[in-house]
Amino acid sequence: MARLFTENMGGAGILTRRIPTPPFGDMKQRHVVRYDEYVRTGGYVGLRKALGMKPGDVTEEVKKSVLRGRGGAGFPTGLKWTFLPKVEAGKDPGARYLAINADESEPGTFKDRLLMDFDPHLVLEGIAIACHACRLNKAYIFIRGEYHHQAHVLEEAIKEAYANGVFGPRGMHNTEANCGGERFQVDCYVHRGAGAYICGEETALLEGLEGKRGWPRIKPPFPAIKGLFGRPTIINNVETLAHLPSIIEHGADWFLKQGVPGGAPGAPGSHGTKLMGMSGHVNRPGCYEFELGIPLRLFVEHYCGGIRGGKKFKAAIPGGVSMGILGTDQYDAELDFDIGRKYNVLGLGTACPTVFDEDTDMVAVARNIARFFKHESCGQCTPCREGSGWLYQLMTRIEDGHGKTKDLDLALEIATSMGSMPGTTICGLADGNNWAVRTIMNKFRSEFEARVKRTYVPVTVNAG
Amino acid sequence: MAWIVKPSGTMGIERRDEPYLTQSMRDRLTREVLPRYETTHAALLPALHMIQHEHGWVPAQAMLEVASFLKLEPAEVYDTASFYEEYWLKPRGKYLVSICRSIACEFAGHERVTQAVKDRLGIDVGETTDDGLFTLIELECLGSCGTAPAALVNESLHENATPEGLVRTIDEICRAEAAGSSAGAPHH
Ligand SMILES: Cc1cc2nc3c(=O)[nH]c(=O)nc-3n(C[C@H](O)[C@H](O)[C@H](O)COP(=O)(O)O)c2cc1C
Ligand code: SF4
Ligand code: FES
Repeated sequence: MARLFTENMGGAGILTRRIPTPPFGDMKQRHVVRYDEYVRTGGYVGLRKALGMKPGDVTEEVKKSVLRGRGGAGFPTGLKWTFLPKVEAGKDPGARYLAINADESEPGTFKDRLLMDFDPHLVLEGIAIACHACRLNKAYIFIRGEYHHQAHVLEEAIKEAYANGVFGPRGMHNTEANCGGERFQVDCYVHRGAGAYICGEETALLEGLEGKRGWPRIKPPFPAIKGLFGRPTIINNVETLAHLPSIIEHGADWFLKQGVPGGAPGAPGSHGTKLMGMSGHVNRPGCYEFELGIPLRLFVEHYCGGIRGGKKFKAAIPGGVSMGILGTDQYDAELDFDIGRKYNVLGLGTACPTVFDEDTDMVAVARNIARFFKHESCGQCTPCREGSGWLYQLMTRIEDGHGKTKDLDLALEIATSMGSMPGTTICGLADGNNWAVRTIMNKFRSEFEARVKRTYVPVTVNAG
Repeated sequence: MAWIVKPSGTMGIERRDEPYLTQSMRDRLTREVLPRYETTHAALLPALHMIQHEHGWVPAQAMLEVASFLKLEPAEVYDTASFYEEYWLKPRGKYLVSICRSIACEFAGHERVTQAVKDRLGIDVGETTDDGLFTLIELECLGSCGTAPAALVNESLHENATPEGLVRTIDEICRAEAAGSSAGAPHH
């Protein structure tokens, strides 16, 4: 039988075990899980187990699981943690921070929200485990300003967690519950953003935490060495952290059974499950959970009831507009971390696909995305600030029917100049802009050509 | 964002006797917010949120008050306040209608929703009604792409938004306002 990418999940969601999600539950039954229900259903078991382990052993287990960041870049989490300065036994290492990336603003993406909407303690448990493993004493959840409701749910859950000895002076890290490492106090706070996509970039996020404008920092120094307030800092996505309780509870080998192995020899695989928010022209959009590697076609046809109105598939963004586009002949693309290498997109991104049907105007798609980047560029780097503006102008001109053939080459040249050469821009936003516009133009070239006036290049022929 | 020029008004700033940063806000900042952070600068976003939430915008005088309370330069406060879109540096309507224009919402027909609101209120995107009740804006992805189109009316989210649905919400607010009470949506 064909694989359905839920068979190694043990008959229930993993991140969504308390959040009814098809095929294991009905989305309409979703509700906020409070502390008591969370504990009754096996919550904080992973944290207790982690606190009985040496911090280094927790990190080792996470490394062994090949958990990769769910925020967009897919960087191995355990490896990132090892970049922190070592803590000497018996010595106070001073302030070390965890910044939780809950900025979720990449267009098409709505997955971290699911966890914060319904199962906030799963996120808090993951935070507490990371703090133990990395010896971090303050955790700031940086949540986008528009997530009013989610910030409120988190605040309430944090209150419950303090009251029940998860965080604070009498928190588990600071009591006999911590028998695997040295005791210390962990605090956890919500910090609200204020409407800036760029604050999802990890160093812009740190600037936002420090009360400054969200301008990404030049690296190095890397945050693990010199991050928030100049101190060692780990930045992880909400969903990444939410995986920790079950990895610690069930072990790395259990996690490795889900998903797919890496394609290239020696390359890390795509293991575990992934929250995947489907949007666009499908019959049943929504946030689902599958093992990594599920083909887009299976996701749409089997789980989302196919394309709306019986139309044909035309294109899809694999996971946020920064990733570029999957063309009509790439409907079978597997949603795993190898997707970039195999299908000429930037990467898996947030794994929240937006699907377009056959009637979609791809020039309009390119214009919409170009406008987004023009609006959100923070303006520090010239190629990004200027390039994003030019691309938007060119896309608008082509969409309005005033473009010329040479505008196509110009647009491609500008796109390619943005972020392709390492070191010309500070952060990845320019690269996302480049990949989005370039792949749409290349994969749907004829649609763009049909919209522009021919540019005649005079040719003189020397006869004789 | 940094490169959107917000009108800075005239050279002088308008002042009133009553402070925008009220005593209860100062107490909350001292008790709950400042102890969380290494620097007073880090309390700036929370402080601006309080002002924005209470007054619906962030007047220049409020920025000066925040600067002196957090021992920052006014320029530092302005630098941050002008960067983030959620802070309004000029007054806006009591009800902010924000419609998502990003990828999933545009291709789910957000334009019909915007048009209906424009027609109902008689204003364009970016404008405020004469009675000061409504401001209409379009913004980027609200994280409700699976239930597109999405819109916010102040802090309440409208998923699967329809032209009729949003117009009905506006009608309800108008009725409640006429009857002298604020409607369902919280003030800011
Ligand atoms: C322009 C830009 C925007 C980003 N936005 C987000 C975001 O909203 N949420 C997120 O988790 N990561 C975002 N990232 C990725 C972060 O920089 C970082 O890689 C991630 O938070 C690390 O966490 P992880 O390893 O757990 O995935 C963004 C990156 C860039 C360049
Ligand atoms: S690449 Fe763009 S968004 Fe990133 S720092 Fe430079 S100007 Fe800002
Ligand atoms: S694109 Fe509109 S909510 Fe995400």
